[in-house]
Amino acid sequence: MNTLRTEEMTLNMGPQHPSTHGVLRFIVRADGEVMREAVPDVGYLHRSIEKIAEKVGYHGFMPYTDRVDYVCAMFTNQGWGMACEKLAGIEVPRRGEYCRVIAAEFNRIASHLLSVGTMAMDIGAMTPFTHAIREREMINDLIEELCGARLTFNYMRIGGVGFDLPPGWREKALAYLDHFDPILEEYNALISYNKIYIERLANVGVIAADDAVNYNLVGPNLRACGVKWDIRKDIPYSVYPDFEFEVPIGSGQWGTLGDAMDRYMVRIREMAESSKILRQALKQLPPGSVLAKVPRNFKPPAGECQIRVESARGDMGWYVVSDGTAFPWRVHVRTGSFAAMGITQKLSRGLMIADLVTLIASLDVIAPEIDR
Amino acid sequence: MGAIGSYVENIKDAVTTIFEGMAVTASHFVRKPYTVQYPDRTEVRVQDTLPFRYRGILEVDLEICTGCLACERACPIDCIVIAVEKDPATRGMIISQFDIDIAKCMFCGLCSEPCPTGSIHHTTEFEGADFSLESLIRRFVKEPIHAYKAKKGPETDPRLAPILSRGMHYLDQWAQPGGDKPAAGTEES
Repeated sequence: MNTLRTEEMTLNMGPQHPSTHGVLRFIVRADGEVMREAVPDVGYLHRSIEKIAEKVGYHGFMPYTDRVDYVCAMFTNQGWGMACEKLAGIEVPRRGEYCRVIAAEFNRIASHLLSVGTMAMDIGAMTPFTHAIREREMINDLIEELCGARLTFNYMRIGGVGFDLPPGWREKALAYLDHFDPILEEYNALISYNKIYIERLANVGVIAADDAVNYNLVGPNLRACGVKWDIRKDIPYSVYPDFEFEVPIGSGQWGTLGDAMDRYMVRIREMAESSKILRQALKQLPPGSVLAKVPRNFKPPAGECQIRVESARGDMGWYVVSDGTAFPWRVHVRTGSFAAMGITQKLSRGLMIADLVTLIASLDVIAPEIDR
Repeated sequence: MGAIGSYVENIKDAVTTIFEGMAVTASHFVRKPYTVQYPDRTEVRVQDTLPFRYRGILEVDLEICTGCLACERACPIDCIVIAVEKDPATRGMIISQFDIDIAKCMFCGLCSEPCPTGSIHHTTEFEGADFSLESLIRRFVKEPIHAYKAKKGPETDPRLAPILSRGMHYLDQWAQPGGDKPAAGTEES
């Protein structure tokens, strides 16, 4: 009696693939439609950014940090600024900190909008993407007016921010938030509560809480597993203790705790929380200077420091070693996407090939952030 | 509820939620369109609608350039090349070369911050497509020119005064380090 002969098949997904969010390659070993394993192959976007820092000096490295994670560049700006300030013991003026938080939280909304929009698009729903991008463009308009660029902001400086808010910007920002909150509801009605969409995401790529901790997941990916860990709350930095906000965690109400739907909904809820923070920050904005006195020839004393920032993709670490000269001796960035990439190999076992796209999209991986 | 019951329930859920989504899409038929058709269907040039701080292609007002090389030092990628030499006759500075490689420039704005007169500044121009990399190098010095010397008191030369006032207005947009007063033209609260 002859049985049907089956054979394991090796597939390459990427490096150029529309749904890998950048140049990213997966080597998929599949048995029919079911994956045995998907091995991520990273390194296509390595630009030696950490090495560049050793050559361009402290002030000159700020525009490079925009390129570490171009979707939420305000956080990389802030991380670098905070690391240098900690090294040299500079205190940022209060208004400067508020400007940083305002810019960063707007950037978080923009980043999550891109994430939820492309997630729907990867799964096959094209329309929500245009809705999300429309809102993101409006935020980009605001940020462009604030700092002059839409993507590579270079807004923050060591010791504060480069520009104060332009006249009338605060009213515009508040008007935008008034417009944004109902839009989020509309977006939920459009796609988040769609039965087909939920069925497609629920129970896909389930991460257990202890697995998430062991694999070093951070940010919304970690919180979706039910672990309440947010640097803004747990190791407060900047002026975050001034604001009241919730840290949304996964509920598992659509399927299992820690599935793709939970990660999606955590991002949606975080946008609402960011909107809350922004309203408080714009209301409480103190007067004064936005930039501390920092010498143009910036030479921090020899030493090392580690800074943690809660970026849109989670806990971002900046480690800087100074030897007392005008150039850092060593810079290292720890990003959330790299950790998220590490867990895909484990999660892909037994998953359908079509669900791999869902998995990558739900982990919100930004390819240049993996390699730096 | 049996298997058939949940089957029907699922179909009902799917249909109603799809209709909710469709309602959102349909509501956009009666809203104002958000998109604009670039470049030929806009009422004003896009360049004119951009905010003042927009970081477009760099431009240099050579008339008010002091030849201090602050921008060259600030540039992280060395896309600015300036050559200055001393004029033996007047002991002033002569700028004989001021090149900016727009192909290299990453529009970070770090060069325009330390400029004492606002000579080097970003424009709102962004359409930089060209046929060769060579033509993207902007050479601002046509023939060697005397560097600008800042005067005590206001500028009296009627030709330079408007250029300088534009430059200083540009500089006012930056937050001055350590200045308790916010930069001019920014929000007071």
